[in-house]
Amino acid sequence: MDRIVRWLDLLVHLDRRWIFILIALGTALPILFPIGFKVSITPSAQALYDKIESLEPEDVVMVSFDYGPSTAPENDPMADAVLRHCFSHGVKVVVLALFPIGGVTMADQSLARVLHDYPGIKYGTDYVNLGYKSGGQATMKQMGEEIHNVFPVDRYGKPLAEIPLMQRVHAYRDVKLAVSMATGIIGEWWANLVNAQFGIPVACGCTAVSAPKYYAFLQSGQMIGILGGLKGASEYEKLLTRGYPATAPIYARPGLYTAIKGMDAQTIDHSIILLFIILGNLAFFLGRMNNRRKAS
Amino acid sequence: MSWLNLARLNALVLFAVFCVLVLSSISRARRGGSLFIRRIAGLNAIDEAVGRATELGKKVLYVPGIMSIDENQTIASLAVLGHVARMTARYQTEIDVPNKDPLTFVAARETVKEAYMQEGRPDLYNDSLVHYVTYDQFAYTAAVSGKMVRERPAANFLIGSFYAESLLLAETGQSTGAIQIAGTAEVAQLPFFVCACDYTLIGEELYAAGAYLSREPAQLGSIKGQDITKAIVGMYIVVATGLLLAGSTFLKRILTIQ
Amino acid sequence: MRFLRLQLPLFLTALAGSIPIVAFFWSPNGTIVQTTKDWLEKYMVIIASFALLLGVINVVQTNVKKIERRQAGWHYGLFLLAGLVGMGTCGILGAIQVGPFQGIGFRPDGSRTPFQWGAEFIFNPLQATMFSLLAFFMASAAFRAFRARNVEATILLIAAAVVMVGRIPLGESILGGRPYLAHFTDWLMNWPNAAAQRGIIIGAALGAASLSLRVIVGIERSFLGIDKSE
Repeated sequence: MDRIVRWLDLLVHLDRRWIFILIALGTALPILFPIGFKVSITPSAQALYDKIESLEPEDVVMVSFDYGPSTAPENDPMADAVLRHCFSHGVKVVVLALFPIGGVTMADQSLARVLHDYPGIKYGTDYVNLGYKSGGQATMKQMGEEIHNVFPVDRYGKPLAEIPLMQRVHAYRDVKLAVSMATGIIGEWWANLVNAQFGIPVACGCTAVSAPKYYAFLQSGQMIGILGGLKGASEYEKLLTRGYPATAPIYARPGLYTAIKGMDAQTIDHSIILLFIILGNLAFFLGRMNNRRKAS
Repeated sequence: MSWLNLARLNALVLFAVFCVLVLSSISRARRGGSLFIRRIAGLNAIDEAVGRATELGKKVLYVPGIMSIDENQTIASLAVLGHVARMTARYQTEIDVPNKDPLTFVAARETVKEAYMQEGRPDLYNDSLVHYVTYDQFAYTAAVSGKMVRERPAANFLIGSFYAESLLLAETGQSTGAIQIAGTAEVAQLPFFVCACDYTLIGEELYAAGAYLSREPAQLGSIKGQDITKAIVGMYIVVATGLLLAGSTFLKRILTIQ
Repeated sequence: MRFLRLQLPLFLTALAGSIPIVAFFWSPNGTIVQTTKDWLEKYMVIIASFALLLGVINVVQTNVKKIERRQAGWHYGLFLLAGLVGMGTCGILGAIQVGPFQGIGFRPDGSRTPFQWGAEFIFNPLQATMFSLLAFFMASAAFRAFRARNVEATILLIAAAVVMVGRIPLGESILGGRPYLAHFTDWLMNWPNAAAQRGIIIGAALGAASLSLRVIVGIERSFLGIDKSE
């Protein structure tokens, strides 16, 4: 018993760098050698999928890139999946960015990745990239009145009045759904401001850290769906490949980073953390029992 | 009443009730009588933290959050900073206040300078105590983390509005063995602070900090008014839930704000 | 002097704090109030830009002094100044379209401007690197903090373990492919978690409202660096 307690005690006082090494290996190895764990679908992701599925081909979805490079590993897969879904289903997409540092770059990169597999999608008729606008909530409020005033030109400098898709999209009333790919507070603004004041359905793809906060909005009906972290992104990818089998080869492509592949790493990492938690608690309780035994 | 947004009349009434409750509590507090405020461990530990830094001959690191001065949490943090700065001036302990936002940097500098003046130690103050780092969130985090590891402050205060960098800062500080007092109203970051810091001010405890530390009757009165409002909100939630379960949406409808 | 130091700042604070409140309740057709609120938001951005200039000057002064005196960590100051000067130069010259610095994004021919190159190949990877540290720190924090020392800590431990397992495919594998754990995790997030978060949010919102009222009426003056006795 003493020997076991001694070993476990070593574990309790383990140098944190050993944990870092194991986490590094647990993250890198599954990405290099994919395992292929199964992903289950939760209602919050299903709700967003069903909403886009319910839209008609000429309906417009607004996708806002409200994240930067730091959260790209979580937000990129969900943004790509939502864009692929929209293009596969035939709905029109208006892309914009409200995150100041890197939002527009994320939008550009996401569109470049997705459009590679959709050669038939035309700029100006099927999708538009409005670029970045500063001002946060003030900008979002003004878009409820007239988008053309907020974005007089698109990302590439072309006047919105000359873009066929934007000739019929002037405000939120012309949009059927707004999806915010968010880190931080901007996702809340979409729910509190756009949904509350203008009534359009809002969904959010957020980092796992922010997801607990957004469930309150889902509960109250201010959001119709949430993609929480890499898990949410992997659920959406699975829904997409299930509903549109033509997208399956895209996600099976070697070298393409997808949320389903990322979930392998997350699974291993969570397992490592759980193992350490169990061992740490075991050491704690056995140590306490041993101390009581010695005292008595 | 064409100037009034009638769709928000219910909000105006609520706002008026809130103001009356808070201002009348302040007025009553000013007229005399002591006001009870419960013990907040994190604020009581400020003395202990600064004292520890003084004994060890190391500095106190104060991070006032990453948002600008228009954020309530930043204003609350500056109230605590003033108190901490007065203590460091009194005990002749070094304080270091790195800033991410330029407006907060300017306000923090004034706060610390004034604190040192009030303690009668303007000789101990110099502008380098409060400095600007960078506007980028993670560059700021890298700079402050590096400062924690290299300079090893004995006490870290992480008080204000934080986002993803909260765990990075708290865990780095924990690894250096510093006593850490954190405070934020960002619900997503609270778990990280609770796990990695010695004391955490949760939500409204942060906003009450100024009143708690100054013990000014007017400020304590506002806390009392806020508590009365919270009690009313609690009762409303219970009654409205009961009515909803019974099939009546009356209370829900009258308080839906456009 | 007292007017400039005390009364004028308090008056401006009360005015700036009251305008958004009035604008919220004013009729949307009332252009003067809404316009004033919009101007206020724009002026705040302009003032912040001037304060940013002050910050940059402070950064340069602090780090030049550190390098001159060879204080601890002075070489990090060199990197900082190099980055500041480098990216700043690329940005400013790109904005005024000098020589090869044509803009701060992509050129019409698709090539990257120096600023875009720096942002994409230096800044973005550094940001991602810092954020990725969270994974390691979460592991070490979880290992240290999730001990069943008392009732509350045990509840925290169980909830965290359930959510961690429910969020990964392992949760299904344990139960023979049945998604019960994932659904239970979703329930945990949707109901108990949402209820607790709402409680904290309501309390914090009332605290913020009370603080805002104190600031507007001039009771709370700490952010101005003014002593309570003044």
